[in-house]
Amino acid sequence: MRFEPRAPREGINVSATHPLREAALLVAGVSAIFAALILVVGWSVEWAVRWIPPELEARTFGDWAHHLSSPEHEAERLAVEALARRLAMHWPGAPYEFQVTVSDEPEVNAMALPGGTILVTKGLLRESQSENELAFVVGHELGHFRNRDQLRRLGRGILYELTASALFGFNATAPEVTGFLGQMADRGFDREQERAADRFGLELVQAEYGHVAGAGRFFERLVSRTSGLGDLAAYVSTHPASSDRLEDLRDYAAERGWRREGVLQPWTRSD
Amino acid sequence: MEALTQLGITLMVLTVTYLVGSAIERRHFDSLRKREARLRAFPTVTFERLPEGWQVADSGLAMGSTVVSLDYFKRFLAGLRGILGGRVRSYEPLLDRARREALLRMTEGAVADGYDAIVNVRLETSRLASSRGRGKGTAGVEMLAFGTAVKLVRQP
Repeated sequence: MRFEPRAPREGINVSATHPLREAALLVAGVSAIFAALILVVGWSVEWAVRWIPPELEARTFGDWAHHLSSPEHEAERLAVEALARRLAMHWPGAPYEFQVTVSDEPEVNAMALPGGTILVTKGLLRESQSENELAFVVGHELGHFRNRDQLRRLGRGILYELTASALFGFNATAPEVTGFLGQMADRGFDREQERAADRFGLELVQAEYGHVAGAGRFFERLVSRTSGLGDLAAYVSTHPASSDRLEDLRDYAAERGWRREGVLQPWTRSD
Repeated sequence: MEALTQLGITLMVLTVTYLVGSAIERRHFDSLRKREARLRAFPTVTFERLPEGWQVADSGLAMGSTVVSLDYFKRFLAGLRGILGGRVRSYEPLLDRARREALLRMTEGAVADGYDAIVNVRLETSRLASSRGRGKGTAGVEMLAFGTAVKLVRQP
């Protein structure tokens, strides 16, 4: 037997595809799959929310958010709750008994939680310079209840996580992708919901005070301070594009001939 | 905001690991080619028996091994492949390098010990478990090349 040394052939065991091309193809393919998933989840939730009456939602989620409230804010909690219920009087047939929870966080934020609970942060109460201003934020959250956004968001979150982990749970890279795309999708869904909730909030403020002064003040300060951000960052990130929304609110008020000047009710701030 | 920051960090890590990874890979392939060319005349064969006419004066175990692990970029690509299926192209050069490096180390060792050839060469792979995920994760892969190194009786 002869042995003749030869150079090994290259290119058999290693594909010639450029890694960046491979990356582009893979990212495009996987994004397409998740985009489809997000759409299907969105549609299913739209469909399902119609079949869940608010009474059932209120009964299911009833008191669960109560423990989030810190006892030392009880006086403020009651004041905001009274405000919320006063505003809700202008929403005939509101199917929820609204409750308010005050959380300790210094960030400025508010949230509609399933079952009729409005969560406001300590930071929001500190930032509010008039009752009207706060009323608009609370009214905005009431708008979310009217459109059942809180339930949609919850449903989307659960369904999306469930499907994604059922389909791709075995995969270590999937959570990074699903998490990011999920958040982006939420943003997309949110934009319309925020606008609708804004308008409803403004309607309530108009009905309660006879003018909408102070309602936009909150946004104006947000817009002028977004460069500085700080504590307002949280509100901006969950309630995107404040300057657009401010404009939309102005137009909406102008169309209906609502006054943008008026006497502001004081909001007793505590620190 | 948070999502964007996260995406930014991920993209940055991907870019850095891609650039560093491909630079290292290029240099390694260059080194492999050079050393393979230098050792080309040294027979490393998979025969189980000695070819006829070979007279062995001495023999021993020749062994070379490498341990390789993935960079973030390659892992990311392979992760996406895990969803779509198909050839895991990002792992191929890595394993190719590991095989060739292990063979070279084995050969270089045998040459240093004065052997003339290695017969019955075999390659083996084993996964090194990572302590993460109760040993289900992979910390790396060992590539082991081994064979019987022989010294031949010189013909007078």
